[in-house]
Amino acid sequence: MVKYTLKRLFYMVLTLFIIATITFFLMKLLPGSPLTNQERLSPEQQELILDKYGLNDPLPIQYVNYMTNLVQGDLGLSFQYDNRPVAQMIAERIGPSAELGFQAIVFGTIVGILLGVIAALKHNTIWDYTATTIAVLGISIPSFVFAGLLQYYFGVEWQWFPVASWEGFEYTILPTLSLSVFVIATVARYMRSELLEVLNSDYIMLARAKGVSAPVIMVKHALRNALIPIITLLGPLAVNIMTGSLVIERIFAIPGIGEQFVRSINTNDYTVIMGITLFYSVLFIAVVFIVDILYGIIDPRIRVSGGDRK
Amino acid sequence: MSQKLDPKLFDRQGSRTHEAEQMGRPSLNFWHDAWIRLRSNKGAIAGLILIVIIMFMAIFGPSMSDYTYKEQNIAHAKLPPKIAALEDIHWLPFDGRDKDGFDLYESKGVEQYYWFGTDDLGRDLWTRAWYGTRISIYIGVLAAAIDFIIGIAYGGISGFYGGRVDNVMQRIIEILMGIPHLIVVILFILVFEPGIFSITMAMVITGWVSMARIVRGQFLKLKNQEFVLASRTLGASGSRLIWKHLMPNVMGPIIVTTMFTIPSAIFTEAFLSFIGLGIAPPEASLGSLVNDGFKSMQLYPHMLLIPSVIISLLILSFNLLADGLRDALDPQMKK
Repeated sequence: MVKYTLKRLFYMVLTLFIIATITFFLMKLLPGSPLTNQERLSPEQQELILDKYGLNDPLPIQYVNYMTNLVQGDLGLSFQYDNRPVAQMIAERIGPSAELGFQAIVFGTIVGILLGVIAALKHNTIWDYTATTIAVLGISIPSFVFAGLLQYYFGVEWQWFPVASWEGFEYTILPTLSLSVFVIATVARYMRSELLEVLNSDYIMLARAKGVSAPVIMVKHALRNALIPIITLLGPLAVNIMTGSLVIERIFAIPGIGEQFVRSINTNDYTVIMGITLFYSVLFIAVVFIVDILYGIIDPRIRVSGGDRK
Repeated sequence: MSQKLDPKLFDRQGSRTHEAEQMGRPSLNFWHDAWIRLRSNKGAIAGLILIVIIMFMAIFGPSMSDYTYKEQNIAHAKLPPKIAALEDIHWLPFDGRDKDGFDLYESKGVEQYYWFGTDDLGRDLWTRAWYGTRISIYIGVLAAAIDFIIGIAYGGISGFYGGRVDNVMQRIIEILMGIPHLIVVILFILVFEPGIFSITMAMVITGWVSMARIVRGQFLKLKNQEFVLASRTLGASGSRLIWKHLMPNVMGPIIVTTMFTIPSAIFTEAFLSFIGLGIAPPEASLGSLVNDGFKSMQLYPHMLLIPSVIISLLILSFNLLADGLRDALDPQMKK
């Protein structure tokens, strides 16, 4: 287990290093200039600005500077927002994104588990078909389409919830719903197939033969075992929430990281793009790492063969 | 009293081994079998029919109307949908009236019928929607096809030769897997101007990895089985082993993976269009149409709803078909 963890840690650092390098060089290749009103600046002024940001140094020196700063947690200054440090910009915007993501994961997982349990218990009935249909729809409908429909009907037409902005809990409802659709669908699908398998196993039959009541079998025996693999879903789900947040935050005008990212892409704000790219990568890699380690701890069957698991 | 039985009643029967061996029905090969299983899956067949319809419309839809996808007519901007046969049925959204029941065609004096309405530049949405569908499907299929080729080659070599080759190739894959897919795609498109080709390539850069992993896994599993060993013993060459023995057995999972790649590529393209990195106007894709629709959602919901419905149906039908294929081709993969 320790060897496995160390090996994974090494890969984590290596991957991050590669991502940082790729990001840096791709940014250097980018068309367009980070200077906004370039036409109005004299060549001397342009030189000064480029000097100030170290953009006139030779590429290898820029790269080394960038990497040393990165290790110290310094992501550089934004080109667009009055030289604000990128790290600070990310820190300020992390709140709304984290809140939305958290709500979506929690809500989505609970509803998904419920749907999955209903589908498995009422296997091959109208309940099962309804839950399966919801799951397929949830996976197929893009989150921004779903967000658009929610915003139009609940916000504009019926005015049940605020259309956009970020001022209180009721403002989080529609975006959370839009983000959690995919979570619900994925968890429900997984839960259903997992439960169907567990319910057919010998130890459930034994419990039933001993006269254990159906609810107890469900909660104490079946659910417990079926829930373990759900942890592996956390990685893909976190990625999906991250991607989803880019569009959802834009649609609902939420001051989160995703919204900033899309805005920076459209204004050539290189340092911010690099910073958020790295931030997302760290998040993603950390989630995958934690999930893998957790899974090994929770399920001993994995631990036995864990050392050489790919 | 005993009954007297006439020996003539009995007839000597010879052994009929020949008949016992006879096949009562035509023998089924793998594909027949899969097709029978697929046919009984209602969802998959519904998906297949939907795909055929949408593809038909994507090919012939744009030429059904009298407009082109980039022809602008400001005088006819922002018209709601109006279809000749349905214009008198007011609960359907095809009567040429806006949300408040106001007939925009009459007030603007427009004689023509725009089946899906027009956008804010007066372009015909019917033409644009199906043209956009064509682009979306094209990108999805192209990305899946390139993934298919690279994935099979890489995974096949890695799995078949094994040893050090496999080790190196797997380390590369492990690192690629660690990089968030979307980040690479976004960075790539930022560097190379958005267009059909660059979007497809961006998706392929990391997209082939899952195909390579599946092919490698299957090859590893199969290459030590008896039928391969038998063939090897008889002196079959490496390429014969790969193409005649391994590939046909891996085709099931490969097809299923490809079928799942298409909808996810369509989705990624739409997503990119949505954050401003997609196809540039006047070209259109379903994603860019949805994005445009958002701008005038409050007053002209048809601009948002029509492309939204098409893209959802498209992804849904591909997912349904892929699900069905997975059950039909490889029940073990179901999980």
